[in-house]
Amino acid sequence: MASQQAEHDRVGGFRRVVDGPAAEWFGLAVRLGLAVVWGWAGLAKVSDPAEAAQAVRAYEILPESLVKPVGWGLPFLELALAVLLVIGLGTRVVALISATLLLVFIAGISSAWARGISIDCGCFGGGGTVDESQTKYLQEILRDTGFLLLSAWLIFRPRTKLSADAWLAA
Amino acid sequence: MSDKNREGKRSARERMLEERAGQEARAKRNKKVVVGGAVIAVIAAAVVVGVVVQNQRSKPETPTAAPAGTIGDKNLIIPVGADNAPSTLTVYEDPRCPACGSFERTFSPTVDQLEDAGKIFVNYHIVSFIDRSLGGNGSKYGANALGCAQNAGHFRDYHDVLYRNQPGETEDTFGNKQTLIDLGKQVPGLDNPEFQSCVNTNTFGGWVSAVQQDFDKSSFKSTPTVLLNGQPIYPKKGDEQISPENLVKWVDEANQGKQLGTPGSHGQSPAPSSTAAETNTSPSP
Repeated sequence: MASQQAEHDRVGGFRRVVDGPAAEWFGLAVRLGLAVVWGWAGLAKVSDPAEAAQAVRAYEILPESLVKPVGWGLPFLELALAVLLVIGLGTRVVALISATLLLVFIAGISSAWARGISIDCGCFGGGGTVDESQTKYLQEILRDTGFLLLSAWLIFRPRTKLSADAWLAA
Repeated sequence: MSDKNREGKRSARERMLEERAGQEARAKRNKKVVVGGAVIAVIAAAVVVGVVVQNQRSKPETPTAAPAGTIGDKNLIIPVGADNAPSTLTVYEDPRCPACGSFERTFSPTVDQLEDAGKIFVNYHIVSFIDRSLGGNGSKYGANALGCAQNAGHFRDYHDVLYRNQPGETEDTFGNKQTLIDLGKQVPGLDNPEFQSCVNTNTFGGWVSAVQQDFDKSSFKSTPTVLLNGQPIYPKKGDEQISPENLVKWVDEANQGKQLGTPGSHGQSPAPSSTAAETNTSPSP
């Protein structure tokens, strides 16, 4: 009985940490962190459309007809996610889309790695074929996994401080 | 107040509370749907606008203006040597690529000789992708300057000067247009306002992008890519390592029994715009 009570307290304490104001401030930091990631990734891919298309083409996954639409549209998708995260609108939906996108990226990089082609992921601009010694697949996957964890936090705890969501809910 | 009455009052209040809770839950759900829809709409609009904007911003795959004398169906190739030479050497190079620099410094005298003897027709594709990975403009501006030199009929000489003065890969020296213009002063016939303005205004920027997009779509992934009659010979042809001697040998083997070409004016087309070039640069010994 006593141990059950302790267990209950521990769970209650955990809940308070995860749902309390401290967690909402942490959520704000996560939200803005992910916004910076998407903003940086998007901006880096906007300046040269041919480069963005080539980064996609280098994966040798999509047919040529989809290379340009994806290469051109993706940075704007990333920028839209960044803006929505900054204002904190629809945080859970945005986090879900972020996580899906990151899973797609991780799958693409893994596929390139598994097929033995040598490319830069083009995650933050650049991209295309690189020398075999210049590939950084593991770092790229680990980095994206880190971003995936940020997204996961926001999926499970979408309530954050200073968000449009909180303002709308009030 | 009877007990019964009290009970009835409470259940009425409960009903009211329940109803209100239900209304609040519905409102909350509706709000969620509206916010979710707005988010999806914003993202979809961003993507559509992005594709349209980038489509407008991207340079065409067929250039609107190409340097004089360029060949191929989109005028992306700079030819050097006799077009009726029995063998064709195709070279893909980036002005900033160190391996291209070392290839040029080792092989350009041999290539010049083979051109001048009418043994090979060289097709240069001046690509510009190093800027993408390292940042800067040296590949693009360098390629444009080479286009300007071609336009004036001095590609071969300027090309050699550029590679002799190539900076380290990470240094964007060629991203400085003045440096490119100054290097032009080493080529008689390029020290003039036309070349300077061509370099400064990036006249062939669209052509440079088209050449790169053509390379992007090709199966070649690195530079230098060197093909003799379509067959890769760099760094090796089959099991044989490339060397100036081997290059001459391979060309002679390919040309066996065939009539040599007739190289025109210093292997350049169009003819150099200044006579100074012809007096100054005698064929390599």
